[in-house]
Amino acid sequence: MSGDFDNERGLNSLNLVRQWIRGFPDVQKAAIMEAVESASLAKTRRALRLLQELGPEQRGPVLDVEILSTYNLEPLLPVLELAVNCLPSQARLWLAPLDSIEAHIAQPARWPSQALSGARIIIWRIEEVLPEALYPLSHGFPERLAARVDQLLQRIERVVGLHRRNSPGVPLFLSTMPIPVNLANPVSAAQHCAGPFASVSRVNQKIYEVAARDDGVHVLDLASWAAFEGSVHADAMVDFLARQPLSAKGQVGFALFIARCLRPLIIPRRKVLALDLDNTLWGGVVGEDGVNGLKLGHEFPGNIHLRIQRELLELKHRGVLLVILSKNNEADAREAFESLPDMILKWEDFAVRKIDWNHKHENLRAAARELGLGIDSFAFLDDSDYEREQMRQLMPEVLILNERPDPLQTLRALWETDAFDSLAVTEEDRRRHRDYTLRTARDVEGHQNDLEAFLKSLEMEATIEEVGPSNMERVVTMLGKTNQFNLTTRRHSHVQVQTMLASPGSVALALRLRDKFGDQGIIAVLLAVRAGDAATLVIDSFLVSCRALGRGAEDALWAELLSRACRQSVHSLEAEYIPTAKNGIVAGLYDRLGLQRVEHDSSSTRYVLEPIVPVEFPSWIHFGQSN
Amino acid sequence: MKIDDHLLSLLIEFFDLPPDTRPGDITQQSLAAWDSLAMVQLITELEATFSVEFGIEEIQRLRSYHEIRDALCKKGFSSHVPPISRT
Repeated sequence: MSGDFDNERGLNSLNLVRQWIRGFPDVQKAAIMEAVESASLAKTRRALRLLQELGPEQRGPVLDVEILSTYNLEPLLPVLELAVNCLPSQARLWLAPLDSIEAHIAQPARWPSQALSGARIIIWRIEEVLPEALYPLSHGFPERLAARVDQLLQRIERVVGLHRRNSPGVPLFLSTMPIPVNLANPVSAAQHCAGPFASVSRVNQKIYEVAARDDGVHVLDLASWAAFEGSVHADAMVDFLARQPLSAKGQVGFALFIARCLRPLIIPRRKVLALDLDNTLWGGVVGEDGVNGLKLGHEFPGNIHLRIQRELLELKHRGVLLVILSKNNEADAREAFESLPDMILKWEDFAVRKIDWNHKHENLRAAARELGLGIDSFAFLDDSDYEREQMRQLMPEVLILNERPDPLQTLRALWETDAFDSLAVTEEDRRRHRDYTLRTARDVEGHQNDLEAFLKSLEMEATIEEVGPSNMERVVTMLGKTNQFNLTTRRHSHVQVQTMLASPGSVALALRLRDKFGDQGIIAVLLAVRAGDAATLVIDSFLVSCRALGRGAEDALWAELLSRACRQSVHSLEAEYIPTAKNGIVAGLYDRLGLQRVEHDSSSTRYVLEPIVPVEFPSWIHFGQSN
Repeated sequence: MKIDDHLLSLLIEFFDLPPDTRPGDITQQSLAAWDSLAMVQLITELEATFSVEFGIEEIQRLRSYHEIRDALCKKGFSSHVPPISRT
């Protein structure tokens, strides 16, 4: 069948879907795979019906997506809906009327509840927004065409401005525009800086620039998607018939690509990649072949391992922690790092190194403890079928990236995985490796001193900030990702936080920490809103990053909250602990802080503090200038 | 490859019809769900399922089970029912 995915990219898409839906029951999994493999609309509808039978906890978070397009996506809605449901999410899609981008975007994003996580997507193509580019000589090439491109660039700015004004906090995805598939004389089209191809490039460049300067704007790079897919995604007949340009195969790939771009909004990426050394970082086994027998360099097959190392170093710079899990003598491994002339990765690039003869799953668990991260933060890469299988069986939360031992397959796994997808590389991401490396150093140092003396020795300086535009991105990221020290685990969106900020008497605090090792960034957040009687403050969220546990950040934030509550004539505080599989660490926090338990059942424990008396700030933290 | 049963089950599933629907009852005129949107989706579905492409003339004549079967037969699929005659 032509709808079958018979190329490598298609297979990659299918592999991603298989990963996304691995938690679904077998009936739903089979129906979804049948639908995406066949590209059949009837099978897609059947899979959607079966998904509706699952409970909300099986289907994932609600995700509202509003799509504005210059071409007709209505025939694709079921395919899009299935793809976004696979993330997994309870996807709800809204399609705005054709060609109504400005008119629609001038209104606030409309879906049933602004409080839910969602996104707005604008999908446009050159055929509609700049049709002159297809026939440049008939449209005043080059000057008039260049002027029309300028107008389109202004339109892009205008659309983003309208969105920001009317739907602040709602993530906006702007599509880039593929080179038209159906274009006569592509040789000529490439020959002038104001020609059709260059015009499309200028437009796309503008979209990349707009997204780069605005945290809430992301690129849905349909130009790169179309380039990867090739012209097989297009169907000129259906385009003429219904202004719907995609073939059946193209529809599925398109929908899965959009779903993948939305996924980072609701699914945290893997924070750690644990990997093997032999036949992964280099060809050969260092303990058997010796350092001189290893293959790494610019000749085949050492060039594949060199490329693997380049990929890994890039991941490290994007904030993914690298961990070695290798069955070797540590001295042999270290010698390879120090002696191989073409090594790109350095010994210090790994946040944790477990090089011994223990089981890898045990070493992975130990590494997770040292880093203070959950097992489900880990991805794993290993050439050994045995090691992968053992990890799969004993640590099912760990994502196994590669399926085969071949080094090219290892490299492909790194090229194709979505485990590390993110919509932005933040300053925290860039610093993560250093922070965690220092954290393990601090832990070692901490054992040698009593706790308070150790904390004092860190020369910590905290700054308490109001939550606002300058730190909103980090605060929402923390709300979305913090699992352990998180009293309520409420995954608020930008919109929800902004709603809270706007409510009278609310308190929204973020704590930034510096110590002798460097600036740790914002590591704790506390959000509280007034209850109906205005004399009561209700703590909505209270969380501390796992990078900064055990340092008293929560005590500092708590002291600040009480101080403000007293100043604002608040008489009582209400708080809640909602247990999850991961936040047992804070089960007794409010007891320790002196609140009274008033209600307790398996789903939550509620507390009250009345009257409110200020408490001392922790002595080991010096307070900087708060704004 | 006999397409009669395959096409019938595809159309029954596509339009969500009762399983015992007779081929002759599947026409654009008789099915409210067979609107212009469904037409576009059906063309893509047929092209994907049978690995075919339809021309402009053909697309304008895909208005019933029998017409679709007829179009597919002309593309080399065999049927155990004779194609309908067309004027």
